[in-house]
Amino acid sequence: MPGEIHALLGENGAGKSTLMNILTGIYQPDAGEIIIDGYAKEFSTPLQAIASGIGMVHQHFKLVQAFTVAENIHLGWSQTPRRASAQVLEQRTAALAEKFNLKTHPGARVSDLSTGEQQRVEILRVLARQARVLILDEPTAVLTPTEARELFKALRQFVAAGNAVIFISHKLDEVLEISDRISILRGGRKVATENTAECNPRMLAKLMVGRDIVPADMRRRPADAAPMSTDPVLSLENVSAIGDAGNETLHGISLDVRAGEIVGVAGVAGNGQRELSEVLTGIRPVSAGKILIAGKPVGKSNAAAFAESGIGHIPEDRLHSGLAPALSITVNAVMREYKKPPVSSGIGYKPGAATALAKEIASAAEVSIPDFAMPIRNLSGGNQQRLVARREMRIADKVLIAAYPSRGLDVGAINTMLRYLVELRDAGAGIILISEELDELLNLSDRIAVLFEGKIMGIIDNDKTDIDEIGLLMGGRTQVREVA
Amino acid sequence: MAGSLRLQRLPSASPGIVLAARAAAIVMALVFAGIILAMTGANPIELASEVVDASFGSSFGMEDLGVLIIPLILTGLSVAVAQQIGAWNIGAEGQFYAGAFAAAAVGLFVPGPPALILALMFVAGLVGGAVWILVPTLARAYGNVNELITTLLLNFVAILLVYFVATNAWRDKMANSATPRLSAEIPEFWGSIHWGLPIAILAALLVTGLLAFSRWGYEVRLVGSNPSAANYAGVPVRRHLITVMLLSGAIAGLAGMLEIAGTVHRLQGGISNNYGYLGIMVAVLARSSAVGVIFSAALMAFILNSGIILQTQGLTTSTVLAITGLILFLTAIGDELAHYRIARDKA
Repeated sequence: MPGEIHALLGENGAGKSTLMNILTGIYQPDAGEIIIDGYAKEFSTPLQAIASGIGMVHQHFKLVQAFTVAENIHLGWSQTPRRASAQVLEQRTAALAEKFNLKTHPGARVSDLSTGEQQRVEILRVLARQARVLILDEPTAVLTPTEARELFKALRQFVAAGNAVIFISHKLDEVLEISDRISILRGGRKVATENTAECNPRMLAKLMVGRDIVPADMRRRPADAAPMSTDPVLSLENVSAIGDAGNETLHGISLDVRAGEIVGVAGVAGNGQRELSEVLTGIRPVSAGKILIAGKPVGKSNAAAFAESGIGHIPEDRLHSGLAPALSITVNAVMREYKKPPVSSGIGYKPGAATALAKEIASAAEVSIPDFAMPIRNLSGGNQQRLVARREMRIADKVLIAAYPSRGLDVGAINTMLRYLVELRDAGAGIILISEELDELLNLSDRIAVLFEGKIMGIIDNDKTDIDEIGLLMGGRTQVREVA
Repeated sequence: MAGSLRLQRLPSASPGIVLAARAAAIVMALVFAGIILAMTGANPIELASEVVDASFGSSFGMEDLGVLIIPLILTGLSVAVAQQIGAWNIGAEGQFYAGAFAAAAVGLFVPGPPALILALMFVAGLVGGAVWILVPTLARAYGNVNELITTLLLNFVAILLVYFVATNAWRDKMANSATPRLSAEIPEFWGSIHWGLPIAILAALLVTGLLAFSRWGYEVRLVGSNPSAANYAGVPVRRHLITVMLLSGAIAGLAGMLEIAGTVHRLQGGISNNYGYLGIMVAVLARSSAVGVIFSAALMAFILNSGIILQTQGLTTSTVLAITGLILFLTAIGDELAHYRIARDKA
C-alpha cells in the first residue's frame, strides 16, 4: 500500500525469500497473480519487475567491489549516458543522492565503504531506477545499531513520499518499531496480517513459531540409561571468538553440558551458531575466555586434540566441511580414527584395515554400500549424514556437538538422527544440539540456550518453558515478563 | 512407448571407461594426424611404419626413448605430487633448471671422488628444485597467492640464469655456450640409458606407496580433496601444503640433476627441452596418479621421439607439436565424455 512499511516476519524456511523472488521476477508463480496499481502483472525476468517499480535490496549486496559508487549506480541502467566520464557519473550520482537524501561518496570505491554505506549505495541504485516498492531482505543483519537507525530514517522519508516498503526480518523489536502492518509467514503460508499498533512481541513470536508441539517423549530415559552427572564435561566460560570477516561474532558465551544431558541451542541461523560449534570443537580459536573439558582448561584450540579427548562433531555443512566428497567412502569413514591402530601402525596406513573399519561404521549406520572405493558424494544426503553421525559417535565419549543434524533430510532420516542422539545420551555422553527446528529442540533437550547476535539470551529449563518464551528470546527480547 | 534417449551425467566415471576413452582419444588423434599428413602430401602409413620401426626396431631407438622417459617421469611426478595437495606447479621447468644449476655447481667446483660428487650433486639437485619453489610455496601458504602464476614466472628467471652462467662465468673456454664437462657422471647400464631411469621409476613408486600406505599420504589426500574437511579432522593443512610443494619442486630439481649428470654432462641453455612443461601434460594424462606417470611419460617420450624421427623425414616441428596438442585435447574430451551414459527415459 502506498505510504506503508509492511513487515514480513517468519522463521528460516518459512517462504519469505521465495515470495520475494517471485515478486522480483526471479521465480515464476505456479498459481496466483501479482497485482500492481490494480493491474495484474507477470514478471518473467527481473528486468520486468524493475520496470514495474519493484526494487530489491538483498541481504548480500550485489555491488562490484572494485568499482566506485557512481559506477555501481550506473551499471546496467538504461538511463546511463552512452558516453560518460567519471566526472559526469559522479555528478549524476551526487544529484541522485541529494534527491533521495542518501549520503554517499560518489567517487569512493565500494570496497572501501562500510557495510552500512554499501547498503545505502544498494538502496540508491534501486531508487534511481524509479522503484516505488522497495523490498529489503534482513537489512539490519549487517548493520550497527546506529546505521540501522539511519536506515529507518531513510525508509520513513521514502514512504512519506507515497512509496511502499516491504521489510523482511525475524527481529521482533525492529519490526514493531518500523512497520505499519505485519504479515507472518509460516511453512509457506501467510498465517496473519495485523496492524502493528495491535501487535505485541509475545503474540508475534507465537504466530511465527506457533504450532502444537508433540509431547517430549524423547526426553524420557530408560531405566538403564547413564545418569546425568553433576559436574559439566564441557564448559565455555565467557568465550568470545572472531568470525571469518574479522569481527567478533561470539560475545562472552558461557555454556556447559553435563554427561548424559542434551543442551539445545536455539536461534535463527547466522546468529553465531557456526562459530559456536567451531569453538566447541577446537576448529576456531577463542579470542577471550576459556574452554574446560572435564574441568581442565584447554590450552590452544586444536581440532585433533579436541577429537582425541572425546569430542565428536557433526558439522552443519557435512559436504563442505565434514567430508571430502571426491574421496572414497573408506577414506571418509576413517577420518577420525586413522591415527590409531588398527588403521595405522607407526607412520603406516593400512587400506585393508581402513576398509574394515568403514564396513563396521556403515553397518552401525545401517547403510548398505556396494563399493567402499566409491566417492562418498555418490551416496544420498541421508546416508552421508548417518555415516558422519556414526563416525562421530564412536569418538564422542564425552560430548557430541551436533549442528543442524537433521538439515536437508527427510522425515525418516531425521528420526534416525534423533534416535542416535538419544542413544548416545543414554550411553552417558553430553550433547549440544544446535538446531533451528524448535520441535526437535523441545523434544530432545533438557535445557535450551537461545543464541541471538552472538550472545546467549538465556538458558532455560525445558520443563519450565514454553515455545513463546523461546520465540521471544530468538527475536532478541530478554525481558519476557515486561511484555504487555 | 519406447521412451526417448537422453544423455545422463554420472558423478564419477569408472577407471575402465576412462581408460577406454583415453585409448579412443589417442587413436582418434593419430587418425586426425594421419589425415593432416596425407593432405600435406606425405604417405601416413609409410611414415607410421617408419616411426614404429625407428622407435622399437633398433636398440638405438629404444635408447632414445629411455633417455627421454627419465626427465618426463620426474617432471610429471613433480606436477602430479603438487596436484595431490591441490596445487598447480607450472614451474617444474624452472625447478628443473634450478636443480641442474645447483648440481652443476657441485660438479664443476667441488673436488673429490666421483661417487661422493654424484651423491652431493643428487642432494644439490633436490635442494635447488625445492629452493626454486620455496617463495611461491610460502606465498600460497601464508598469503594465499595463486601458485600458478608465481611458479610460472620463476621459470623465466631460472632459464635466463642458466643461460647467463653458461655463457659467462662458467663458460668453457673451448665451447662458447656451455660449461666444461662435469667431473662426475651417472654410469650407463644399457646403451645410452643411465641409472637415472631406475631412480626415476623408484621415485614414482615411492611416492605412490607413501600416498597409499602412510598416514602422511592419507592426510595429504584429505587436504588436497577438501581443505576444510582436513581442518575439521585436525590435519595441519598449511604444513602439508608446504612440505608437498617443496617435495614437488625437489623432484623437478632431481630431473634437472639427472639430465646434466647422466645425459648432457654439461650445463647449457635449453637443456630442459621443455620437459617441465611437458610434465604438466604427463601428469594430466596420468590423472595425477603417481604410478600412472610412468606410463604417460612413456607415451609422451614416444610422441617426442616420433616427432624427432618425423623431422628427419622433412616434417616441421609445428606439425609434431600439433599432434601432441591433439592428443591432449581429445583426451580431455574423452575424460569428460566418460562421465556420460545414454539412458532411456521411462516415459
